[in-house]
Amino acid sequence: MALRRKHASHALNEPPQVMLTDIAFNLLIFFVVIASTAPEDGRKQNIPRSEANAKTTNQTSQNIEVAITKGATTVNGAEVASSELMTRLKTMLSGKSRPEDRVVLVKSTPDTSYEHWIDITGVVEEAGGVVTLQMEENKTVNVR
Amino acid sequence: MKIKRRKLEAGIPTVALADIAFNLVLFFLLLAKSQDDTYLKWNPAMSAKVEHVGQSLASVTIDINSKVYFNGQQMGGGELAPAVKAALGNLPAGKRTVLLKVDKSAPAQVFEPVIEAISEAGGDLVHILAEQKK
Repeated sequence: MALRRKHASHALNEPPQVMLTDIAFNLLIFFVVIASTAPEDGRKQNIPRSEANAKTTNQTSQNIEVAITKGATTVNGAEVASSELMTRLKTMLSGKSRPEDRVVLVKSTPDTSYEHWIDITGVVEEAGGVVTLQMEENKTVNVR
Repeated sequence: MKIKRRKLEAGIPTVALADIAFNLVLFFLLLAKSQDDTYLKWNPAMSAKVEHVGQSLASVTIDINSKVYFNGQQMGGGELAPAVKAALGNLPAGKRTVLLKVDKSAPAQVFEPVIEAISEAGGDLVHILAEQKK
């Protein structure tokens, strides 16, 4: 004869549902915090302190000058297509090993967009140049 | 015959204490995040070569209206360099990262002085860009 348990209860097997809202709330906050502190993507550029810039200003005449306007880019006064910029700069920088020789002065017109500027400076860096900004009022800022 | 009165045990429920502690930790974590600039609108420029740069104490944003913000607060041209310098303090090289978030349409006359100011403050510049998918 099969015996039946007298006080069969299912209550003990069920998880307590009172805490479910607490858990949901904690999870929500946790993911909000994680999302707001997610690492961002970008490109590093080492800028030497301003005191160091004085040393490079005397050498500006020997360095390559890249001028960026809204529609065109010139290297030492000659217009260069964006596709040819890399090879042109690589050729000009070949044989120059010292960082001060690899300085590329980047001069942009006031209306040059950031998107265009970041493209060109990216090419200069990839070609091995040390980007140096030439500001309107003859201030220079090194970007390496 | 004496009938014993049942003692009522009125204790503080300690089950939720861990939850409360966790919530407090998260609350103070959020409060400590003083450089909230998530409300600013800017469209990042695209670049094929980007890397993860992590977090930083200082963040400079140029929004779609070409206004400059430092850690979420709007700044004038001359105020930026001292503010960045103060935020970075005496941090050693390599930990002086300044995130630069510039709207892709911002003109050079706006972003170049910002780069100059970060240079003056001795910050390690990192341009925040979006990855260009091939």
